[in-house]
Amino acid sequence: MKRTGVFICHCGINIAGTVDVKKVAQELAKHPGVVHAEDYVYMCSDPGQNLIIQAIKEKNLDNVVVACCSPTLHETTFRNTSKAGGLNIFRCEIANIREQCSWVHKDKSSATQKATKITKSAVEKVRRNESLEAISVPVTRRALVVGGGIAGIQAALDLGNSGFEVILVEKNPSIGGHMIQLSETFPTLDCSQCILTPKMVEVSKHPKVKLMTYSEVQDVSGYVGNFKVKILKKPTYVDPDKCNLCDECTKVCPIVVPNEFELGLTGRRAIYIPFPQAIPASYTLDIKACPGLMPIACGKCADVCDVKAIDYDMKPQIIEEEVGAIILATGYDLYDKANMAEYGYGKYADVLDGLQFERLCSASGPTKGQILRPSDHKEPKEVVFIQCSGSRDPENHCAYCSKICCMYTAKHAMLYKHHVHDGQAYIFYIDIRSGGKGYEEFVQRAVEEDGVLYLRGKVSKVFEDKGKLKVWGVDTLTGKHIEITADMVVLAQAMRPAQGAQELAKKLKLAMDKDGFLAEAHPKLRPVESVTSGMFLAGAAQAPKDIPEAVSQASGAAAKAVTILSQERLYHSPTVAKVLSNLCTGCGMCVQVCPYEAIAHKDGKVEVNEVLCEGCGTCSATCLRAAIQVKNLTLHQVHEMINACLGG
Amino acid sequence: MVYFGDLKPKKGKIHIDKERCKGCGFCVEYCPRDVLELSEEFNRKGYHPPRIVKEEECCYCQLCEAICPEFSLYVTLKKEEEEGEKSESRP
Repeated sequence: MKRTGVFICHCGINIAGTVDVKKVAQELAKHPGVVHAEDYVYMCSDPGQNLIIQAIKEKNLDNVVVACCSPTLHETTFRNTSKAGGLNIFRCEIANIREQCSWVHKDKSSATQKATKITKSAVEKVRRNESLEAISVPVTRRALVVGGGIAGIQAALDLGNSGFEVILVEKNPSIGGHMIQLSETFPTLDCSQCILTPKMVEVSKHPKVKLMTYSEVQDVSGYVGNFKVKILKKPTYVDPDKCNLCDECTKVCPIVVPNEFELGLTGRRAIYIPFPQAIPASYTLDIKACPGLMPIACGKCADVCDVKAIDYDMKPQIIEEEVGAIILATGYDLYDKANMAEYGYGKYADVLDGLQFERLCSASGPTKGQILRPSDHKEPKEVVFIQCSGSRDPENHCAYCSKICCMYTAKHAMLYKHHVHDGQAYIFYIDIRSGGKGYEEFVQRAVEEDGVLYLRGKVSKVFEDKGKLKVWGVDTLTGKHIEITADMVVLAQAMRPAQGAQELAKKLKLAMDKDGFLAEAHPKLRPVESVTSGMFLAGAAQAPKDIPEAVSQASGAAAKAVTILSQERLYHSPTVAKVLSNLCTGCGMCVQVCPYEAIAHKDGKVEVNEVLCEGCGTCSATCLRAAIQVKNLTLHQVHEMINACLGG
Repeated sequence: MVYFGDLKPKKGKIHIDKERCKGCGFCVEYCPRDVLELSEEFNRKGYHPPRIVKEEECCYCQLCEAICPEFSLYVTLKKEEEEGEKSESRP
């Protein structure tokens, strides 16, 4: 019989407080095949690990069972310890007697009994484990970054500078994301475009970065280290190499539609360049706005184009690329203003959202940096800013805090005062959250130097009265009703995951949290990794965040991607499904249920792609004939584990 | 929305002479904004003339006017949106 050693950890009082560890050791010592059983206060400490190595050598152990915390925490530690003692890592098993026993029970004697059973079942399992070696696969040493905002640009630059090829995919005609729309950034009041455009230029000229704008990721298959990506390149109908930006086409285009870059504050033609510093510097023909590409419909832009850059025959292209790691930086959009009926958005021209106000403040914006009311183009003398518009409202809108609104509203009020010295800015707030370097000082500066009036309370209604906007609210500090006659109202809309990001997440089989943001693998310890290995998260796609956070997360995601790309080969867990071909009838039920598409028909039976298989066991649970089983978790092992628990 | 700057979306008004129509459906088929659809009613010749369903969507591209083989509809620029620009027939 195989010789098994059992090691029981006290975890201070985490386990020993509820479980009589000495008794567990005594009981296990009587179990058949167990030749060594001992307890120690902290098994994961160096002396604890040394106990294991020593016992393996002295007692000539074949198997090791460590009864301690969850295997997600210390399985790797103890498997490496066993390896140091000369065993195969699969000859070590963890019995979870903390999360699944001591932490959830109060009664000491039953908890001790349960811990004993859990440990015995682990002994029965490890005895039947195979010694396995990791499966190794080569790595495609290139990366894909989805989203060309500040986070995507930073991630692409970091990867490129580390010497890896990067494909940067952006769905809009230009990179830059929302940051390029901002006027100034808090708390330093740097011009947003001035600090972003150098990075945009750098990424577009980087020899390692392949920029694909007006493109969308259609499909991803494969696995960490070896993804196959299909990218749809939408036709711009303009050849960027030929286009010399003469702007003749926009002069003749008969169509005007709302300009997305200016958030509908101005119009644009159907053929357009999003903004002067756009990268790539070229025009795009918006086929949704254009009356049609046939000469009878219009054709004026192609007629006036001297360099023949406009090509109506351009077709959508599907481009296939192979990459080893993927970074998702799909960003955010503002919460749909149509939901904020009580604040009159859409009904009154002078009710704006935060991004529209950014464009009004911007020197390159529709008003050349003058703050004017959209309705009559006059300077507003009283402006009301409403924070938490859609945020922190679990009953009606989004439950979460959008994090950046307190800061950008303070900035807006400050910028407004810098433009309109005799104006008055009011801010309705619930709380002021200014955690960040220099943030609190920035808010204080808005109050003290610029005389911004902060009113603690919510606005109940905004309505028009004699050409002005009446704002009804309540000041919860005095309990008084407030009525302000304002010229302009600015809503700090909640941040939502970008449009289309959720569909993309589904295609990539990425988990999302309850609000639709991409879910990280662990909220504390793996904040830039997704639950799918080889895919990383950056920027507001994961949660609302400001620019410095998005940039640091992007660099973090790039560093994580480098840990994959810098390897020659990747190692994959060998605890995968295995087909017993004498039992398999080729019915194909396992093929259908496999979430990783790892099983395929072959010669009347099925075959497992060991690299794709994650060892989840769904196939094994489905098979009627027990013809497909996960290595080291076979049906026989499971039966023996249950027997051990039942005391058989 | 009230726009800043000179570029303002144009709105067209479509005028249909039902009696000229031969129900070919070109205007319905080629309208980029799907403003028109064929109606159920008959004209004196026995054809179904088009009907306006989403006039607010019309962007004054005048494609229907250009494509109609029977000269049975034309588009003018809506007055309230005009601001200096005059209706003109297509070249």
